[in-house]
Amino acid sequence: MLHIALPTILAVEEAAESGGLFDIDATMPLMAVQFVILALILNAVLYKPLGQAIDERADYIRNQRVGSQEQVAKIERITQEYEDALSSARREAQDIVSEAQAEAQAVASKALSEAQQQAQAEREAARGEIDKQKQAAIATLDAQVDTLSQQIVKKLLGYELS
Amino acid sequence: MTNFFPLPITNVLAELEVGEHLYWHVGNFKIHGQVFLASWVVMGALVAASILATRNVQRVPSGMQNFMEYALEFIRDLAKTQLGEKEYRNWVPFIGTLFLFIFVSNWGGALIPWKLVELPSGELAAPTNDINTTIALALLTSLAYFYAGLSRKGLGYFADYAQPTPIMVPFKIIEDFTKPLSLSFRLFGNILADELVVAVLVFLVPLFIPVPLMLLGLFTSAIQALIFATLAATYIGEAMEEHGEHE
Repeated sequence: MLHIALPTILAVEEAAESGGLFDIDATMPLMAVQFVILALILNAVLYKPLGQAIDERADYIRNQRVGSQEQVAKIERITQEYEDALSSARREAQDIVSEAQAEAQAVASKALSEAQQQAQAEREAARGEIDKQKQAAIATLDAQVDTLSQQIVKKLLGYELS
Repeated sequence: MTNFFPLPITNVLAELEVGEHLYWHVGNFKIHGQVFLASWVVMGALVAASILATRNVQRVPSGMQNFMEYALEFIRDLAKTQLGEKEYRNWVPFIGTLFLFIFVSNWGGALIPWKLVELPSGELAAPTNDINTTIALALLTSLAYFYAGLSRKGLGYFADYAQPTPIMVPFKIIEDFTKPLSLSFRLFGNILADELVVAVLVFLVPLFIPVPLMLLGLFTSAIQALIFATLAATYIGEAMEEHGEHE
């Protein structure tokens, strides 16, 4: 068994002289003072620092959440931008391809029509030449027919007409 | 009333001493030494645990800090439900200290083998099984809610006694007396009764049988601490509540 060494300023009295369950004495105000002191000490070493820690953590978590939400929004925006750029590039490429096709088409049809015109012109020229030679041939034939027919008449009639 | 039970008590561990005190004299006043010794142990434990918890505060809590943060969150929630989001912060130290002091006192009284320490007179037990302690706490609660009401509304606080009808005035005045009375006697009675029941049972059947009652005693002790703190918060909240045109 242990014995409590009591502070020497306090006189200790053996055995209760009054005692009892409802013995209200100076214990009560002293206990109240002690309790207030305890509250002040705990306020300094427990409630303030830990409360601050809890609040700071709550702030930190809130800030982090807002920050990450912003980042997600930013990522979504960038993704959207890239998708837009991609689709516009695709559209441009299509435009370029179709333009080139149209140009090629135009060049081809132009060359074709030029060739046709040239062929037409050559054909015309050839036809004109043929006509001219035909006229010339007919003219020569006419002249020969004339002389031949006069010779035939001379031979038949024995004289010359006219 | 030196010995409450006229039974032939022989077993040292089961000996019952009710209403016996270790008297210290401070000036002309007498105080109960065993209550102060026990309360110093309780307060020392609380302060030590707090210092351990806040010695190195981390953002990610661990160990003692985690445990005390759990306790503090519990107290904050309690205060917040009774006092509202706006006001509760100022009252956390008072309500929290009430809860922690009563809780640790009650559990300490039940769990620490005080009997091994022999005093010249009286015996060590939970500080809350002395009527002086509970009255001190209850009167502080009364002061707290008067302070809350008066600092919030000035003398208009007493005008609220006539709300909603003047018939309520005498009842409200009686309430101011019954609140500390019921607070102190509830706590005192529960803790003392629990210790007595366990002591009597240990005296009658020293093995196994008292264990369920001891567990029940732990439960009661925790509940009593919660009730005291919650009621104190409720009284303070009630005193600060706005009546009439504001709501």
